[in-house]
Amino acid sequence: MIKLPSVHIGRLSLLLSILIWLSLLFVDLVRLFGEINDLNSGIAPAVTWTLEILFFLSVYLFYTQNFQQNANNEFLNLIWRSSSTGIFASAAFLIIQLFYLFLGDSNLAEEPFLKNFFYHVHFALITVFLISTTLLWKKLILYQKTKKVVQQWQTFEIGLLIAMFFVYFTQDTFGYSFIFAFVILTILGGFLSVNLKWIPYLTYKEKWKSLLFLSIILLTSIYLFLQANALSGERQIYPINLLDNLFLIALYIFVFIYSLFSFLVTLFNLPTSSVFEQKLTEAINFQRLSQSIQPEENEENVLDILLDSSMSASYADGAWLEMYQSEKNESITQVRWIEGEELRELSDTLESSQAAQDWASSPKADTLEPFSLKVKKGKYQSLLLVPLMINKSVIGRMVLCKEIKDGFNKEMINIISTFARQASIAVENHRLLNQAIENERYQEELKIAQRVQKALLPDRLDHHSSFEICAYSNAADEVGGDYYDTFQQADDRYVLIIGDVSGKGTSAAFHMAQMKGVFQSLIQLNLSPSEFMIRSNAALSKCLERNHFITASVFEINTTQKLIRYARAGHVPTLYFSAKSQKATYLESGGLGLGILRNMQYEKHVDQKEFSYQTGDVMVLFTDGIIEAKNQKGMQFGFERARNLLEINHPLTPKEIQAMLIDTLHNFVGGNGLIDDDYSMMVVKFT
Amino acid sequence: MLTIDIQIENTHHILTPSGEIDASNSVQLDESIRHLSESGAKSILVDGTQIDYISSAGLGVFMSYLEDFQEKGVSLKIFGLKPRVYEVFQILGLDQLISIFPDKESALAE
Repeated sequence: MIKLPSVHIGRLSLLLSILIWLSLLFVDLVRLFGEINDLNSGIAPAVTWTLEILFFLSVYLFYTQNFQQNANNEFLNLIWRSSSTGIFASAAFLIIQLFYLFLGDSNLAEEPFLKNFFYHVHFALITVFLISTTLLWKKLILYQKTKKVVQQWQTFEIGLLIAMFFVYFTQDTFGYSFIFAFVILTILGGFLSVNLKWIPYLTYKEKWKSLLFLSIILLTSIYLFLQANALSGERQIYPINLLDNLFLIALYIFVFIYSLFSFLVTLFNLPTSSVFEQKLTEAINFQRLSQSIQPEENEENVLDILLDSSMSASYADGAWLEMYQSEKNESITQVRWIEGEELRELSDTLESSQAAQDWASSPKADTLEPFSLKVKKGKYQSLLLVPLMINKSVIGRMVLCKEIKDGFNKEMINIISTFARQASIAVENHRLLNQAIENERYQEELKIAQRVQKALLPDRLDHHSSFEICAYSNAADEVGGDYYDTFQQADDRYVLIIGDVSGKGTSAAFHMAQMKGVFQSLIQLNLSPSEFMIRSNAALSKCLERNHFITASVFEINTTQKLIRYARAGHVPTLYFSAKSQKATYLESGGLGLGILRNMQYEKHVDQKEFSYQTGDVMVLFTDGIIEAKNQKGMQFGFERARNLLEINHPLTPKEIQAMLIDTLHNFVGGNGLIDDDYSMMVVKFT
Repeated sequence: MLTIDIQIENTHHILTPSGEIDASNSVQLDESIRHLSESGAKSILVDGTQIDYISSAGLGVFMSYLEDFQEKGVSLKIFGLKPRVYEVFQILGLDQLISIFPDKESALAE
């Protein structure tokens, strides 16, 4: 592939148009030379016309390119470019005129070649001005374009293209066909000239500037037209008329009409300019409010925007905003242009106004509309109360004040209530977001608590060759109040503990930690089970909340004597399977929960028992979560069910018995049923 | 669901909780009893016939008034508990501390 060098179309077209203009000049001067010297130069007028058309096209191409690259599409900038070109062209005309004035009656003044040269300069300047301005106008016309406008513009461009070639058919400048074509192009241009949508978007100041620029364009185009007309009058000097071209005249009239329309419309738009600007500001404010839910913004920012937007929408002289934190404890978060003294007075006025009070206590909070109020005395004569609502409850109110009577019309109230609604949504979103973050944090904390609590339960249980043991615990919430543990007091003496704090959840979990502390300390003292319970009760009575208690069972296993001593403190009786009788029973004994009687009377309620165990005996310690677990019919798992299960499944290993009990429990509760309490168990089998 | 009804018969305040007493509504029971005690009731009878279930949190409420009532000389009696509910009191040992009667007549006779 041959790689073409990348051509800069803009520069190329500039070079091309200069070359074409030079050749046009050359051709015409040669023809002039021939005419003066009565020689037939043999150059047909068609050559000039062709060069002229080529010149138009290359200038058109140059400016199209130039404007495309120039990204600055501000309206004012566009108009300024056009007017500056106009000023430049007019200045060039003036200088040439001054030059001739200076020459006076000298020979040079009558020199036809020089005159022709300047004629071509004029031609080039007028062409550049008209084409560049037309292209600029194109941008303005096609601002916020519709398909229809684009089609109209394309038709106009095609018409202009045809107009370039018109000169081939007739040179009769003001013949019927010329007039006809001219009228058609003028009508097309006139239609396009009503597309002035850019004007309202100018600010008041920009409108004045654009009026200035447009008047420059109008003046220069009139000046250029008069000059061109004067030149055309001296037809005998110039062999070929370049300026009386249909294309140029049509362009001229288009540029003039559009400039005139723009000028007049801008002028008449001046008085309503502020209204449009106001509406635009409102739209932008509305957008700011709806976008104010970005994480970096906060509630204060939202209210700030709301107050500013509402004040600018209603031309209010002062305003303040109150957010209700809790019942009747309102706090003023934002104040604008009102002194402390005035604010207090106005607040008092509102407090004493029956109508305002009725409005505030209106039961239909979800349809509460802004309320405007007349004030008799003081600087401010009218007030507007705007409610801020979240979920049908009023979270605050905004008060706008004006120094004139009946200062708030329907349109203002409408836009302000829209602002208030939008701001309320933003505030609500902020609050929800904060809540969500807070919740997330709590969840995180609970997870930590869960981990810490798991660590409170033993990860390995003390055991001996004469018994197998396993244990399991599950909390209804993230954390729970169940506890189990084992201790080895001597080579042949083991203690098993199971405990349950009343209630569940976090409070139970804290008490469970205390229970572990107490148990771990007391176990070091080698106490008998009943003594252990008495001491535990004394210790726990000092740290449990008044309405909390703990139930526990303590088992001391002596592996040498094959003896078990135990005490029960209000805990669920332990299930025991005796290999000898092949029966499972609950170990009965009296005993009061820990922390119920917080004095020495507790001793009367402790009961210690002992018995011998045999190989094959199974002991199941559990908490009431298992026995009290309910199925969908409201039936409890119950003591009897557990007893039967153990009687049938006693030959299994402790792990298997435990798994069997838990599976049965889950099946009993039902597929999605949740067990509403913490539940734990410890299974011991003697070998 | 727990609803608590209070009636006055002679010098006795009869409190009738109906439904299940668990961690979520034990506060309700606590408030009723505290209200009675603060209003100077000297004899409180709890009609247990409508209690379907009581959790450890519910037991905690009765337990927390034991010493207080002993000091003030307020008598607290419970009667008519369903077997399953009575069992819960029994396991915890509360039956040794609170006077529990099979029915209203025997509770009033004592």
